[in-house]
Amino acid sequence: MASISARRLAKELREIEGEGCPVGINLIKADDFATWWFTIEVMGDSLYQGEVHTLQFRFDPQYPISSPAVQFLVTDGRTAPVHPHVYSNGHICASILGNEWSPVLSVVAVCVTLQSMLASCKKKERPVDNDRYVRNAPDNPKKVCRFSDY
Amino acid sequence: MKVVVKHWHAVAQWRWDTGNAEPADDDGEDVCGICRVPYEGCCPSCKMPGDDCPLIWGECTHVFHMHCLLKWIGTAASKQQCPMDRRTWVTAERKIGATTST
Repeated sequence: MASISARRLAKELREIEGEGCPVGINLIKADDFATWWFTIEVMGDSLYQGEVHTLQFRFDPQYPISSPAVQFLVTDGRTAPVHPHVYSNGHICASILGNEWSPVLSVVAVCVTLQSMLASCKKKERPVDNDRYVRNAPDNPKKVCRFSDY
Repeated sequence: MKVVVKHWHAVAQWRWDTGNAEPADDDGEDVCGICRVPYEGCCPSCKMPGDDCPLIWGECTHVFHMHCLLKWIGTAASKQQCPMDRRTWVTAERKIGATTST
């Protein structure tokens, strides 16, 4: 029997293929129900004009009960946006990816939230503890990144 | 003219009584917010819809497949909160409508 995640992700994929992604978000890879890639750019006036970043989602078989592991890719010339909640290794501190995750959220909902996180940024800078975090960061961003209040 | 019924087919339809007179969804079906399968379907762990895969109502008025909600509430990450509004989940007494027979 297909895992919970496969059924739910198949539905989300059909929706994306049928209705398309919101403006500025494009699905570029979804070969399986384990790893999906999206490009994300901020439309309109923002500090990130002209920048295109790649978001990676990794799902375990319990998705959407368990949250996806979401990060920006920083390989093959891709970069993480410079943002107070985005570490230079691509890991993101966003409440909905950690302790504010809810199984009624979806992949597209996460993309839109991160897009607006970038859009509302006032100053391009790395998190204050970037260097220390990146030195010790685990492979899975879900393991460490736990901010609670924004 | 005399009509003689030679045979007939009975057709029945059922729907959970969620308190909504008509399904809100465009497809004519309301779905569980967790698995996105219609309420009248079953959760991903079950094979047969119906009494074996019932719905659960919260006092916050949100409705899910019971199995989906219990999986979520069973995780530490849920903090026992409704996935829709993050209020502490309290299961509501199921209101049986006047027209519903059991």
